[in-house]
Amino acid sequence: MPLGAYLTLAALVFAIGLFGVLTRRNAVGILLGIELMLNAVNINLVAFGRFHADLAGVMFTLFTIAITVAEVAVGLAIVIVIFRVRRTVDADHLDLLRG
Amino acid sequence: MTPRVGSATLALVVLGLPFASFLLLALVRPLRRSAPAAAGVSVAAILGSLLAALLTRGGAAARAPGQSPSTTWAWIPADGGPMATVGVMVDELSMAMLLLVALVSLLVQVYSWAYLHDEPRTSLGRYYAYHSLFAFSMLGLVLAPTFLQMFVFWELVGLCSYLLIGYWYDRPAAARAAVKAFWITKLGDLGFVAGIVMLWSATGTFDFWTLFQMGSQGTLPVVLLPPIMFLIYLGAVGKSAQFPLHVWLPDAMEGPTPVSALIHAATMVTAGVFLVTRTFPLFLLTPDLLTLIAWVGAFTALLAASMACVESDIKRVLAYSTVSQLGYMMAAAGAAAPEAGFLHLVAHGVFKALLFLGAGVVIHVFHTNDVFRMGGLRGQPWIWVPFVVGTLALAGVWPLPGFFTKEAILAGVFDARLGVPFVMLSVAAFLTAFYMFRVVSLALFAPPHHAGHAHPHVPGTMIGVCVGLAALTLAMGLRQAFGGDHHAIGGPGWLPWFSLALAGGGILLALAMYQWRSIDAARVARALGPLAWMARRRYGLDGLFAGLYRHGLLTMARLVGWIDRYLVDGVLNVLSAWTLQAGDGLRRLQTGQPQDYVYGVALGTLLLFVLAQWGLR
Amino acid sequence: MTAEMLAFAGVAVVLLASSLGVVLTPNLFHAVLYLAAALVATGVVFLLLDAPFLFAVQLLLYAGGVVAIVVFAIMLTERLVGASIRQASRHLINGALVSAAVFVGVVGFLVQMPPAGPRPPWPDELTVLVGRALVDVFAIPFELLGVLLVIALIGALYFARTES
Repeated sequence: MPLGAYLTLAALVFAIGLFGVLTRRNAVGILLGIELMLNAVNINLVAFGRFHADLAGVMFTLFTIAITVAEVAVGLAIVIVIFRVRRTVDADHLDLLRG
Repeated sequence: MTPRVGSATLALVVLGLPFASFLLLALVRPLRRSAPAAAGVSVAAILGSLLAALLTRGGAAARAPGQSPSTTWAWIPADGGPMATVGVMVDELSMAMLLLVALVSLLVQVYSWAYLHDEPRTSLGRYYAYHSLFAFSMLGLVLAPTFLQMFVFWELVGLCSYLLIGYWYDRPAAARAAVKAFWITKLGDLGFVAGIVMLWSATGTFDFWTLFQMGSQGTLPVVLLPPIMFLIYLGAVGKSAQFPLHVWLPDAMEGPTPVSALIHAATMVTAGVFLVTRTFPLFLLTPDLLTLIAWVGAFTALLAASMACVESDIKRVLAYSTVSQLGYMMAAAGAAAPEAGFLHLVAHGVFKALLFLGAGVVIHVFHTNDVFRMGGLRGQPWIWVPFVVGTLALAGVWPLPGFFTKEAILAGVFDARLGVPFVMLSVAAFLTAFYMFRVVSLALFAPPHHAGHAHPHVPGTMIGVCVGLAALTLAMGLRQAFGGDHHAIGGPGWLPWFSLALAGGGILLALAMYQWRSIDAARVARALGPLAWMARRRYGLDGLFAGLYRHGLLTMARLVGWIDRYLVDGVLNVLSAWTLQAGDGLRRLQTGQPQDYVYGVALGTLLLFVLAQWGLR
Repeated sequence: MTAEMLAFAGVAVVLLASSLGVVLTPNLFHAVLYLAAALVATGVVFLLLDAPFLFAVQLLLYAGGVVAIVVFAIMLTERLVGASIRQASRHLINGALVSAAVFVGVVGFLVQMPPAGPRPPWPDELTVLVGRALVDVFAIPFELLGVLLVIALIGALYFARTES
């Protein structure tokens, strides 16, 4: 398959993930959408690396995965604390930044 | 007269002594609070000035034809020579004025000590400080060699007039009169400063001598000269109380009588005449303006004389008389006879001061200004003799100075073929004699209003000053009559007899109406009906000015205020309101929902995509 | 139709379907399961791209670790059974529009790409090369990654502690 196919697939997954981020009410649901977006980015990186014979694609993906794992851990910890404090993880109710 | 020039150093001494006195009294509070000390400082200073002025006059040397009588130093720097200079111009004109100002100031200050004896001690210090400042200002005005310097002192003199008229500042009438004097003269000063600036922009200099040289060499822009000189003349109109800016002088009588004697008879009001006389070479180049000056002067003389005939306040009569005589002086200048006008200025300064100070004596005796409440002073020659001497001088009776100077003026006006002004001045001369003797009869010789003033106590200082001034008047007249330089007073041969007849006629009429009661005054008033009614109401001029102020100036001020509040401020307020509204609107973007912010990021990214696509084209 | 093309088509379908499942199901737990499927599919994509090491890493970390974490989080914060989709998500049209627009924007760039050639040669022992690179060229990022993981660990511990 040509490079373009992989890139288009990644773009689709990215768009779907964005849709999830924008529409989900549950905070954990939003994080799932973010996971999808990051996944799409990984596909992109590996595809570019493969089609330009550059190891950096794979290396970057490796690091991205590791960092994403850390981010998910901390993010969910925050969600849990929010749940403890406000008894809800409904994104509609998390509007303390309202100006 | 051969041109003479005096020592600049001595002139500076004359100028500096009153200034030093003023500074001392203004800055050293204990000195000012002690009335005798303050008076002493001020009188000593003015005495020194008088002596220096005499020395200046005595030591004056002959002046070569092309030599400037001015001594100047650079003041405002500019490219190609200073833009303005300061200095002194010590020629015959200024030396004569120095003597007049210093002498009358000295006599008035001495007289004031006795007249204002009942004043609180601390106020008197302020009074003498003002006197010193005034002396400095007037002397500076007289010595000024440039228009700019003269203007500076002109304004200073106006300030002193305000301060002295409003000396009793807690009296509303006095405060109002002081402000009125200031405002009305300010109207004239607007023209004055405009004229000076235009003259400078046309010629590049303020200096009198330079301008005179340019005038005689024909390098002055003659086309621009009439409007410029008219504007400058406006300053004289204000200061010397010509019609229609004469309305402030009668009200200025709210000030103490010695003040009236000094600045509203002898010195400040003569500044306008002095201006015209000093800059006469320039006025010579605008003959039409001179004719206007003569007409206005003659009309002023007649108008003021008519108003003096119906006044019952002795100081007001003298005030109108001053306005009338100032009209005479201006008419002389307008008739291209400024020397006659100046001689009248000096003589009038002496005998008008005498009359005011004599009136002060009478006021002191009766504690009122109303002539109808006075009388019965026939037995007090020390009081009435000086006053009658002054009156005869003013009426123009030989051999007193008023006769000669008035005759000179009438001659000048006649020779200049100014028919109507001549008639106006003649009628005014008749009325002058009339109203002065009306006052003499009613205030001095009439049966006393109520007994009890048979042996009034008058301070010797006041009497002494009056006697001195009367003697001086007499001496001046006799010198003119019998000796000294007999200027050929021009005019037709019948003129001396004519003016004597005018004076005599006025005196006789007054005596008939008020002394011998052979003519009923009330019937005459009824016969003159509307004229007398108008004169009593000052021909409505005061009302005119008040109306102009109230409806003209205040309306414009209100309009400007409205524009400022609603248009200028309004624009700002509208802008700030819009800003606040915009802020409130934009605030709704901050919903606090994170997903909305993600929307924002996504939209921003889309925008970047679009821009990048365009960039790739 | 080569085998590779078929494989790609199949993986693509699975990936897209499970992605849609993640974002559309009202039940959050189902969403997590769909996510697991999507992550595995992504791993297969890595395989297709000749990166077997990444396939392993993906399965271990993502499909294993992340899914586990998310499940725990859900259990701690939410009732499992949600209501209809209209309550689970909001502003669907807006979201769809924006997502579609972003996709279109990206594709707009993709269509301007020059046609790509065949795949260039690729080393067989990828894992060895990755290992060497980690301590050679990418040594510093590797160490920093370690630090980051420690920080994340401490942060998560801090958040998770109970007030005493």
